[in-house]
Amino acid sequence: MIEKLVGARFSVNTLLTFLLISLLTLALLMPVLVMFYQGAFAPFSLFSHLWQTVLPQYLSNTVWLGFNVVMLSLLFGGLSALFLHFLPIAGANYLRWLLLLPLAMPAYLIAYLYTDLFDYAGLIQRFLRATFDWQSPNDYWFFDLRTLGGASVIIALVLFPYVYMITRTALENLDPKLLQASQSLGVSPWRGIKRVILPLVRPALAVSASLVLMETLADFATVQYFAVNTLTTAIYDTWLGYSDLATANALASILLLLVFFVVVLEQKSRSKLNAQSQNIALAQTLFKPHKLMLWFATAFCWLLVIAGFLLPLALLLVMAWQYSDSQQLSLLMTIGGNSIYVAGIAATVALLLAIVFTFYRKFSLTTFRQFPLGLSSLGYAIPGTVLAMALLSTFGPIDFWINDIAAAFDLERPGLVLSGTIFAVVFAFVVRFMAIANGTINTGIDQIPDNLIKAAKSLGSGHFSILRRVYLPLLKPSLLVAWLLVFVEAMKELPAVLLLRPFNFETLSTYIYQLISDEQLEQGALGAILIVIFGLIPIIWLNRKQEV
Amino acid sequence: MATSPIIDINTLDVVIDEKAILNQVSFSLSAGEILGLVGPSGCGKTTLLNAIAGFLAPVTGEITIDGKPCFSTNTTVAPEHRHIGVIFQDYALFPHMSVAENIAYGISQYDKHSQQEKVKKLIAMLKLEGFESRYPHQLSGGQQQRVAIARALAPEPKLLLLDEPFSNIDARLRNELMIELRQLLKSLSMTAVFVTHNKDEVFTFADKIAVMHQGHILQFGHPVEVCKQPCSWQVADFLQLGSWLNATLYHDKLDTPLGLLSINNEFDRQDNQIALLIKPQHLKVMVDQHGESVIQHINITEQGYHYIVAPVSSKHDYQLSVYSEQVIQIGQQVQLSIIEHDYILFRRDNGMS
Repeated sequence: MIEKLVGARFSVNTLLTFLLISLLTLALLMPVLVMFYQGAFAPFSLFSHLWQTVLPQYLSNTVWLGFNVVMLSLLFGGLSALFLHFLPIAGANYLRWLLLLPLAMPAYLIAYLYTDLFDYAGLIQRFLRATFDWQSPNDYWFFDLRTLGGASVIIALVLFPYVYMITRTALENLDPKLLQASQSLGVSPWRGIKRVILPLVRPALAVSASLVLMETLADFATVQYFAVNTLTTAIYDTWLGYSDLATANALASILLLLVFFVVVLEQKSRSKLNAQSQNIALAQTLFKPHKLMLWFATAFCWLLVIAGFLLPLALLLVMAWQYSDSQQLSLLMTIGGNSIYVAGIAATVALLLAIVFTFYRKFSLTTFRQFPLGLSSLGYAIPGTVLAMALLSTFGPIDFWINDIAAAFDLERPGLVLSGTIFAVVFAFVVRFMAIANGTINTGIDQIPDNLIKAAKSLGSGHFSILRRVYLPLLKPSLLVAWLLVFVEAMKELPAVLLLRPFNFETLSTYIYQLISDEQLEQGALGAILIVIFGLIPIIWLNRKQEV
Repeated sequence: MATSPIIDINTLDVVIDEKAILNQVSFSLSAGEILGLVGPSGCGKTTLLNAIAGFLAPVTGEITIDGKPCFSTNTTVAPEHRHIGVIFQDYALFPHMSVAENIAYGISQYDKHSQQEKVKKLIAMLKLEGFESRYPHQLSGGQQQRVAIARALAPEPKLLLLDEPFSNIDARLRNELMIELRQLLKSLSMTAVFVTHNKDEVFTFADKIAVMHQGHILQFGHPVEVCKQPCSWQVADFLQLGSWLNATLYHDKLDTPLGLLSINNEFDRQDNQIALLIKPQHLKVMVDQHGESVIQHINITEQGYHYIVAPVSSKHDYQLSVYSEQVIQIGQQVQLSIIEHDYILFRRDNGMS
C-alpha cells in the first residue's frame, strides 16, 4: 500500500540529496558504462576480425560450459535436496549443512588438487599401473580432467550448493498436506513429486540455475588452469598477453551482454517465487523406499560432500602437513595481511554506502528512492574480469589526465593514482559486492516493524533521532553480517585483483593462483586452507539463518 | 462542558491508492472524553486514527489538536510535533530497550533526574515495580500493554490514541483491564480515541461512540442515545440492537407478519416498505399449537433461554431473537407478540439482507 506520507513536499533539500545519491550510484557504475560504450562503438572491423578468428570458439566454450555446469548442478543440488527431504538418509542431520560446504572451496583449488590426483603421474593412475602392470597410456583408458567436461564437473561440484540450498528451502516451505492430498486422490508419492512438487519448486530451480550460470560465467581460474578458452580467459589473455585493450574491452562487453541476459532470466523467475505456506514438511513418512534406492540416495549425498569438500580439504591438509615451514608462514602473514587490509577497506566502504542507499530508500519521499539501491546492486552480476577491464579503461585515461594537469602546473607527476594503486582493487570490490551489503541491511530494515517507527515519531523523534536511537541499535547484527560477508567475498575474489593489483602486491588469492599456475601449490597449502576457512564463515551464517 | 475541544476534525477526506478511505469525516471531543470508534473491518477507523496521529496525510479537511492546527490545506505538522500518545495494537515496544528505557524514550530532552522521577512515577502508577530493567520479550501481554501506556503517557500528551488496545489480551482479563485503564485515564483527565471492532468494548470503555461505515461516521453520540435511537439500519445492525421485521406502512398502521401495529411517531411516508427493529425485550413468546412461528434454535445464556424464532409459513421471512425463562423445544410452534413501544423504523434498502 502506497500511502501519501506527511511532509511529501518537494523541496530544494530533497532535490539535493537525490542528486548527491544519484551521483554516488553513477560513480559506482560509471566504469562499466564507459567500457560498454567503448565496446559498442568499437570499430566493426575488430568484431569481424574476432568473429573470423577466435570468437566462435570462445563463445561456444563459454555457452557449453554454462550449459553443462547448470545441468550438473541441477542434478547434484536438486536430487540431493529431494533425497534429503523425502527419504530417511543416514546422517541427514549432518548432510543438511555439509552439503553447503563446497561453496567455500574455490573451484580452481579443486581443479588443481584433482588434476594432481587423477593425472598420468597422479596417485590413482600410478596405483592402477602398478596393480595391473600397465606400462604406457596406450595400455588403458583413463579420463582426462583438463577438458571442457572436466572443468564443468569441477565447477558444478562447488556451485551445486546454490541449487541445493534454494530447492531445500522451497521444499520446506511447501505444505506437506499437498502430497497427502495428491495421495488421497490416488496418485503415488513418487508421481506426486513429479506432478505437484516439481512444478511448485520450478521457480526456485530457475533462480538457483541462473545464480550458478552467473558464477560460471565469472569463473576465470579454473578454465585458465584447464586451458579451456572462454570469454573470461580471452579477456585476460588479450589484455595481459597482447596489451590489446580494445579487443579485451569488446570481449568483456560481449560477456556482459551474456550476463545481462542471465540477470533478466533470474529476475523473471524470481518474480514467480511467491510466499508459500510456512509448514515444515515431514514428508518422509509418505515414502516406503526400496533398500537399494535408499542406499543409492545416501551414497549420492555423501559422495557430493566428499568430492566437493572433504577430499580436497584432506588433500590440502596433507600438503600443508608435509611442506609447511616457518619461512612459508611468515610470507603468508604478509600476504594475508594484504588481503585483510584491502578486504577490510572494501567492506567498510561498502557498508557505509549501503547504509546511505538503504536509508535513502526508507526515508526519501521521491518516486525514485528505489533506484540507487537497485542500481548499485547490479555490480554483483559483473564478472571480475569484465569489471577489471572497465576500471582499467576508465581510470587509465583519468590518470593520464591527472598527470597532464600536474605537469601543466609544473608539479611532480603523481603517477597512476587510480589505476595503479589499491584504490582500483577496493573500487572493484565495492562495485562487485555492494549488492551483498545492500541486501543484508535492507532485509534487516524491512524486519523492523513499521509500528516501532510510528511509536518513535509519536514520542517526538525526528529522522536522525530515529536513525540513531531505533534503527542503528536494532540493525547492529545486520551491519556486522554485511561487513563480514563483503569482507569474505573480497578475500576470495581473484580475477579482478589479478588484473588491477599494483606491481608486487600479492593477496592470498593471487598468491595461491600463482602457485597453482606454477604447479607448486604445496608451497602455499596453508594459505589455501586459510581461504577455505574464510569461505566457511558466510556459509555457517547462511545456514544458521536457514535454520531459524 | 463548555471548554474548547481537545480535538476537532472537520470534513476530512483520505484517499489511498486512488480509493476514498475517509469521506467528509467530522467530529470533536472535549477534554477528558473517551471516544470509541467502531465499525466493520475496512470501514476506515484505523485510517482515521493514523490521520490524527499524522502517519498519513488527508487530501482535504482540518485537524486541530488542543487549539493547534495540525492539518489543513496549508499546514501539515509532522507526527513528532503533535504531542499525541499512541498505543499500538502490537504495543510496538522497542525490543532493544528495557522497560525503563522504553518509558523514558519520549522524554529524553529532560535532564536525567527528572527523567528518573517521571519513569518512577509511571512505573508506580502502572504497577510495573520490579520490571524496570526487564526487556519487552520477558513480559506478559498485559505487562507489555502497561509499558506501552506508560511510554505514551510520559511526555504528557494532550490526546491518547489507542489502536485495538484490548485485542491481544486474554478474554478473561479483558474486562478487568478495560475498567482499570478507564479509571486511570479518567484520573488523569486524559482525552482518548480508541478503535475497536468489538461493540462491547465501547460500552465498557467509552463516553462517546462513533459508528463508522465505508469511510463515513454514521452516528456520533453517547452510547445510550445511540442504542436508543440508532440513526440508520447499519448502526442498529452493527451494534446488534435487535432483529429485523419487514413491514408495510398504511397511514398510521404498520402491517407486520406478527400483526397490525399503530404508530404515532413521525415518519417520512413517501416509501411504505419499512424495516422494523425489534429488540428482544419488546417481544413476548407463548407456546401455541397453532402459532404462526416456530422455534429454530436455542442458546443457553446467563439471562435465561435465548430463542431464535422463524415463521412457519414460507410467505414470511424473519429471524427474531427473544429471551424467556420458559423451556420450549426446538420445532415447537409459538405465538409471538410485540409489546407496544416507540417503534424504530427504517426505510427498507437493498443493502439489507
